[in-house]
Amino acid sequence: MSITYLEAIRLAQERALAEDPRVLIYGQDVGKFGGAFKATKNLAEKFPGRVIDAPISEDAIVGAAVGAAIQGMRPIIEIQFADFSTTGFNQIVNHAATLYWRTGVPCPIVIRLPSGGTLGSGPFHSQTLEAIYAHYPGLIVMTPATVEDAYWMLLEAVEIDDPVIFCEHKYLYYHLKAEGVGERTLPAGKARIARVGRDITIVTYGAMLHEALSVANELATEGIEIEIVDLRTVKPIDTDAVIASVARTGRLLAVGESWPWGGVTAEVIARVCCEGLNLLDAPPQRLNSRDTPIPFHPNLWAAHRPTAHSIAAAVRNLLRM
Amino acid sequence: MPQLGESIAEATVVKFLANPGDVVAAGQEVLEVETNKATMTVTSPCAGKIISWLVELNESYPVGTVLGYIETEKKFEEKPSLPSVNESPATQEQPSIEEKKQEHEPHRRGVYPTVRGLPVPAHLLGASYMSPRLKARMQELGLHAADLAGIKGSGAGGRVTIDDFERYIAEIEKQKKTKASPMRVAVADAMRRSWTRPLATVGIYGRLDNILEHRKTLSPKPGPSLYVLRALAIALAENSAPAGRLIGNVIVHPPSIDIGVAVEAEDGVLVPVIRNADKKSLKELIPIYNELIELARRRRLPAEATGSSIATVSNYGTFGLVWATPIPLPEQTLVLGLGAGRKMPLWDEEKQQFIPATMACLTLSFDHRVLDGGAAGRLLNRISELIMKPEML
Amino acid sequence: MIKSLKLGMFDAKEAVNAREMAPAELGERARKAFWYMLLARAYEDKMALLYRAGRISGGVFVSRGQEALSASIGVSLKKGDIFAPLIRDAAGRLAFGTPLLDPIRTYLGSVLGPMRGRDGNVHFGRPREGTLAMISHLGAMIAAVNGCLMAKRMKGETGFVGVASIGDGGTSTGAFHEAVNQAAVEHLPLVIVIANNHYAYSTPNNRQFACKNLVDRAIGYGIMGHTVDGTDLAECLRVVGKAIELARSGNGPQMVVAELLRLSGHGEHDDASYVDENLKKSKIGRDCIVVAEEILKSNKWASDEEIINWKKATERAVETAVSQVMKEPQPDPDKEDWTAISTRRLIDTHFQNEHHVS
Repeated sequence: MSITYLEAIRLAQERALAEDPRVLIYGQDVGKFGGAFKATKNLAEKFPGRVIDAPISEDAIVGAAVGAAIQGMRPIIEIQFADFSTTGFNQIVNHAATLYWRTGVPCPIVIRLPSGGTLGSGPFHSQTLEAIYAHYPGLIVMTPATVEDAYWMLLEAVEIDDPVIFCEHKYLYYHLKAEGVGERTLPAGKARIARVGRDITIVTYGAMLHEALSVANELATEGIEIEIVDLRTVKPIDTDAVIASVARTGRLLAVGESWPWGGVTAEVIARVCCEGLNLLDAPPQRLNSRDTPIPFHPNLWAAHRPTAHSIAAAVRNLLRM
Repeated sequence: MPQLGESIAEATVVKFLANPGDVVAAGQEVLEVETNKATMTVTSPCAGKIISWLVELNESYPVGTVLGYIETEKKFEEKPSLPSVNESPATQEQPSIEEKKQEHEPHRRGVYPTVRGLPVPAHLLGASYMSPRLKARMQELGLHAADLAGIKGSGAGGRVTIDDFERYIAEIEKQKKTKASPMRVAVADAMRRSWTRPLATVGIYGRLDNILEHRKTLSPKPGPSLYVLRALAIALAENSAPAGRLIGNVIVHPPSIDIGVAVEAEDGVLVPVIRNADKKSLKELIPIYNELIELARRRRLPAEATGSSIATVSNYGTFGLVWATPIPLPEQTLVLGLGAGRKMPLWDEEKQQFIPATMACLTLSFDHRVLDGGAAGRLLNRISELIMKPEML
Repeated sequence: MIKSLKLGMFDAKEAVNAREMAPAELGERARKAFWYMLLARAYEDKMALLYRAGRISGGVFVSRGQEALSASIGVSLKKGDIFAPLIRDAAGRLAFGTPLLDPIRTYLGSVLGPMRGRDGNVHFGRPREGTLAMISHLGAMIAAVNGCLMAKRMKGETGFVGVASIGDGGTSTGAFHEAVNQAAVEHLPLVIVIANNHYAYSTPNNRQFACKNLVDRAIGYGIMGHTVDGTDLAECLRVVGKAIELARSGNGPQMVVAELLRLSGHGEHDDASYVDENLKKSKIGRDCIVVAEEILKSNKWASDEEIINWKKATERAVETAVSQVMKEPQPDPDKEDWTAISTRRLIDTHFQNEHHVS
């Protein structure tokens, strides 16, 4: 019996609702309908009055979450697509993120952002916005890449007293399965060595982890051993884990699905250069989506984001330096 | 000038509401100013008498400018709880100030753009590229780029990667090693630095017979190197350009003719220096020379006897060598070498026959950026000329 | 009381009448409100003075002309209610329980203030005590009040109300629209008090909205609307009090639109030279404190002597507070905890390693 990444998210929310009466879920279509992706299926029925349908008002949705948090609740907000969080951007970055710093009152909200592209999803249903939210102080940004992390990190997000932007990847919803959710292992803020290697370090997060893993398997047959670091959280970044890996391999490739300017990949490279320049045997490289909006047509979409093919090419290029 | 609104940087004085000599109350409006948003009044921070205004009508002043001075009594002083905007804590003043405080001109502060050089492209490929990791490791081991010459590189363009390097070091660990003395390491460093220049060598045969005769008349007997040194000093005193330093597009002539002598000592070479060798005769130089050689051999040279020489004389002939191409020190442009003297047939034009002569090679190694073969040749020829008349040295 | 919690479309005509206030109670509230109006005016005048003497960083925003409306909100609320004051709510805040030292400390930058120097001027609040700390983006606080009310309802509390203040300009924001609609859909006990002082900074009403009266929007949202002369303390107490009671007794969100005039610049850096002279001379241009004094005296709710004493006492209170705060320490950057989150194990240590040269 296996569960999908999405089911893990649903189970985590169910458990949170069951174990903590302060938890509520608020968002569009989350109630009876169970959510656009069925992430809240049956929860409204099981927990009456606590899984609430909202009008199409991201600003008011997030603002209300902040108010509820001030009153001691622990709201989970589902924004239907990460792309639409920009209409609630002000409340996220200027209200939720500043509440604790300005007033001393923590803001324990979780904002779930279904992120990332799927075939044909187009410019406004495909975005990954972790870098934008990581930039604003006061937010914690999680990017779970595995079924286990989707479950345990969401539970942890609810427990954390600060606003958490939970960037769940839509592509992984039904494509990624696991036997179960396993045990709670690493806390948020710690990266995981998804694959031990020797010749080069790939630092990545989200769906790109799986692309990197498939590249690693392929190149292992050629004698190239790639070490893969799954960041899991991009704010804070587990800088120590990244640097320790680069210390072992001497070469760094940062891979992210987001756009290139100032993304997580830029941040990782900046840190390695600041704190570990003398560990590098070659200039650090990054691989991101192209600097354009995300195209609709599958041909264009496939060429827009990093793929196993482009990652492998980048690895070979870096090893040749 | 108070901060009269966010993003307001300056205001124009439009009306004086109180004049020097007037007594004002705390909070009384004393000045009217205009910002680009509105006309406002500035109030007095305390009760007192206005001494002077430093500002002029219809002029603009930045926020933080001192507008004027008020003389007040101690009881009206309010302890400031906020530093005035734009003043650093170090220059913060009490609102009421005694007259002996200096006045300063209200001024505008300008911001000027700076121009920086273009950055060096960071993506380096090629044999000369050493990664930060490699450099750090080399520094750890006390190695230089020159030490990489023996390592085959597997990186882009043949560069030596950290893996290549570590393998090389591991190999070396397996081989027989003797420790290099500090002298050896110092000479190595000097030679490495010297070699970064394009060096060339020219040579001629010099005739030693006159020197060999002349030295019998002196006690103690000076060696041929001292004659050659003195000849070099005179020749450079006549024209010091060949011993100059090329700095950019300027040849800097030597300030004094200080010439060193290469002395083999233990594991390396020391170069004691004879200062102003052009100003003392051969006879006067003999005791100085002998003492320096002795001190050098015993590694007891004083600080002022080493360093900053413009040329060195190297008598490699003492090792039986016929010719050699010595390397000038990093701070020198020239080194003059003297080979072993050998009896050779020399064609005598007058007598129309070969006569026996003691000939030795004089080689001049030089920094080819400063002089070419012609100038080097002329210098050698002059020296060759001078050693034919040892009584003139 | 309403019989059932009806979510969704709400017909304003079905409102159950809230009881009207008895004159004695009105008189009591008027006395209380007037005291807070005087106190607000006194401290704001002092802040404006200090500002023009260069003693305050940033801006000063006063509520001259709007004290009556704001005080009416404060005295009509009870402990346990939620209040999201905005820029010109000095009187309302004090009436709802904000200590006088809070605004003075915030303006003068004392580290002992509720915001500890991290935010200034009118952005202060005590969220856990029911007074939210506004962010600059107008309209954003209304949804936060909604969230507080939804939470209280989920926790099983009853009889509570939330009031959000806003100006004419703020009603143009998307945030306002979303939040009022949200409150209506959720049938929350929200009272939105719109102080239409006819100018949003320098923008007059006719460049702000095209409906005849802002209260017309209430119909669009499906909520009850009320209008009031914002310069008349008695009217403000009556109308605001009634709206609050209607909300408290389950009649859903209430919109109150008050007509008044801002008797100062947008901030103390602004001279309001753009305000129409005719408006200044009209009824809404009256100083509500002068009007309130008249009302108190003519209704015999307060004597001349009492009023004189109140004026002296409020000024003394402000002087005492100001001289106390002026001796208090300012924030010390070296002693600051430069952390934006409460979960210390998740602080990004890379940035803690960076050295900031001050």
